[in-house]
Amino acid sequence: MTQKKKKLPRVFEYFRDEDQFAGGVAFCAGCPLELTLRILSKVLGRETIIVGTPSCSAPVLYGQNIGTWHRLPYYSCLMTGVASSATGLVRYYRKIGKDVTVVCFTGDGCAADVGFQPLSGAAERNENFIYICYDNEGYMNTGVQRSSTTPFGASTTTTPVGVARRGKEMSAKNLPLIMAMHRVPYVATATMSHLEDFIKKLLKAKEKKYEGFVYIHVFSPCPVGWGIESDSAIQVCRMAVRTNYFPLWEAERGRFHLTHTVATPRPVTEYTKLIRKFRHLSEEELARLQEEVNSNFAFLHHLAEFETPKAC
Amino acid sequence: MVIRRKFSSKYEAGWSDADELLLCLDTGSWRTKRPVVDKEECNYCGLCALYCPPQCMLNLEDYFAPNLDFCKGCGICAKECPRGAIAMVPEGEFADEGAKR
Amino acid sequence: MKVRKGEIKVITGNAAAAYGAMLCRPDVVASYPVTPQTEVGEQLSRFHADGILDAEMVEVEGESSSMNITAAATLAGGRAFTATSSWGLMFMYDAMLQAAGFRAPVVMANANRETPGILAVSCGQQDMVSTRDSGWVLIVVENCQEILDSVIMAFRLAEDIEIQLPVMVNYDGFYLSYLAEAVEIPAREDVDQFLAPLKLQPERTKLVPGKPLGCGTHGILVEFMELRYKHCAALERAKQKLDEIDKEFGEFFGRSYGGQIEEYRTEDAEIVVLASGSAAGTARMVIDTKRAEGLKVGLIKLRVFRPFPRERLTQALKGKKAVGVIDRSVCFGWNCGPIYMELRALSPDIGFVPMMSFIDGLANMDISIPHIERVIDEVYAASQGKSYQEVTWIPLEE
Repeated sequence: MTQKKKKLPRVFEYFRDEDQFAGGVAFCAGCPLELTLRILSKVLGRETIIVGTPSCSAPVLYGQNIGTWHRLPYYSCLMTGVASSATGLVRYYRKIGKDVTVVCFTGDGCAADVGFQPLSGAAERNENFIYICYDNEGYMNTGVQRSSTTPFGASTTTTPVGVARRGKEMSAKNLPLIMAMHRVPYVATATMSHLEDFIKKLLKAKEKKYEGFVYIHVFSPCPVGWGIESDSAIQVCRMAVRTNYFPLWEAERGRFHLTHTVATPRPVTEYTKLIRKFRHLSEEELARLQEEVNSNFAFLHHLAEFETPKAC
Repeated sequence: MVIRRKFSSKYEAGWSDADELLLCLDTGSWRTKRPVVDKEECNYCGLCALYCPPQCMLNLEDYFAPNLDFCKGCGICAKECPRGAIAMVPEGEFADEGAKR
Repeated sequence: MKVRKGEIKVITGNAAAAYGAMLCRPDVVASYPVTPQTEVGEQLSRFHADGILDAEMVEVEGESSSMNITAAATLAGGRAFTATSSWGLMFMYDAMLQAAGFRAPVVMANANRETPGILAVSCGQQDMVSTRDSGWVLIVVENCQEILDSVIMAFRLAEDIEIQLPVMVNYDGFYLSYLAEAVEIPAREDVDQFLAPLKLQPERTKLVPGKPLGCGTHGILVEFMELRYKHCAALERAKQKLDEIDKEFGEFFGRSYGGQIEEYRTEDAEIVVLASGSAAGTARMVIDTKRAEGLKVGLIKLRVFRPFPRERLTQALKGKKAVGVIDRSVCFGWNCGPIYMELRALSPDIGFVPMMSFIDGLANMDISIPHIERVIDEVYAASQGKSYQEVTWIPLEE
């Protein structure tokens, strides 16, 4: 008989409310998005208003006629209107003196592409809400099309592999870094393999939203779209962190620091070999991806080490 | 204009109301494999419960077991278990194949 | 008149819209600059900076955001206002459809400017016409006083529990937006009193933290059809409600505009000219001249484009011998003016008399007195049985 642990991990103590979602909801088996939303509702509580958009989360966040899949109040938007609708809500609540936590929950397709303008506008105006972008590197709900956060080389339905092309030719844009450059009170990256890190960032977000805009970028592999087994999403998240493909950091008004340091980063191939969308990549292409990972991380590292020079 | 039926919703616009109707999918029927927890091997670390996407691992005092109503059979619990105490067994091998809790 | 006389100021149409909004104490105001409405946002910002307007001001990065912001604010239970014109109106079109579908009682001032297609920084009603099918209430006004008064009436209409629809107050860009006229500005306390009945009605559905109500469910099958039906039914009710509110406004402030339409010297008229916006003001003068010459002509000023004032128009036009419609826009695909095209649908109710479409006034082309005289002459000729041209582009025929 194994020695039983006397206490559950500390992470459980962060759950202040019951899971607000119904037991069975329409997320693919093994989707880290389901984990993100359920943990969010347990940590931030039932008083949170969620602002959603057409995306993988919409079939669960939005109701079906009078019925709904969860007990959170929500506001459904078009992809072009998420950050702006949230602005309308928080501005009105501020006018009537009501303390409300509004959380925008969108994918990378909305945040990086079609909904970027209002996101940038809301960040620049320092509106008091939390914007969470789950990055599954593509438009997954509509069937795996590429977005501007799809990485170099990835195979998607709009950047397929064939004789004329070999997946996405451009590199992904670094959305969390762009948001950090808005110099808002709090920007962070997180992923589901490092749950305590994610939860701490959620709680910090809740505090920081009183100062203004908060942005959290959650790395969220898509088992169906990326071609990974339904049991492997957490493992892929972990490997993304270990290879510095997805570093975990936070920035407060443009001052960066890494919340998790990897002592010996693994080569990016240990990450790509788990994922079928990279299967076609040649050695040169993988080398380019590695070079991108290295330079992105070096840049981030410099930002974290940055000190204001004494004289300019 | 003559309307022959009563409106199904009392709201003027597209509001949903969890107090009126909280929906739930029969996701337990999605499974092709079922997680089986070895009570003896399990050291009650709770990682399976933390990483389970539908958050359906039941805390049974000194071990965890899946709620078969909602377990989709993804296998994350088995993969993440540090003691390898969970095995994913095909549904067909159970006398109560397709069982709910 | 129940209330004291207001302060008279010489202000532009844009400023009148801003005053109207300020007097109604909105909670959230969003503004983005676009010619010719920019001054509305500037004036509201000035009110706010001077402590006159206590609202959350949002200087947005695009009109799409203004509409999303104001709609969300109303669905959280507040009062919201924004203003725009032409391309801004088009940019917020997706959000406008959502606001209407969500039954968000937003009030928006729109300075009519030309769209779509050819870039024209000038007056035209095409932008309003392009939003015909948005599900909004579309009001059109004639002068600066009417702008201010209509904004106040718009809040009363939009937030009425039996209506709950977004309302757009349209006024001619350039002709009214930049025209400075003497406008009587009511006292804020009197406007509070006029809007007070809204507080007595049941509270509308709103987003509340902790309450499991979701705004904007995914509608499907018959439940969706029910929502559409409810929306159309509300637009129907808006017609009579508009008449009632206008009458009450008249009793309160001493100014009434006729509700859905204004009938000017139409009772014994044999022929009628239909116009909207500032052109109606010019037409009024021409009607008087022609009447003095002995011609039995009347004017109908269309004040609301959506919902289309079917019943009032039928009643006003029944028995008339010919009708001429002046449109400041075109109806693509029908090769005539849009108001004309919709009026034609009433022919079975009015009687199959000659109806003529006059397209004029696009891109700051003046709908001048000679133009309207020509309209009346041609409509009169048609009423006497002479052959007539159904559609006339007046400036192109000179």
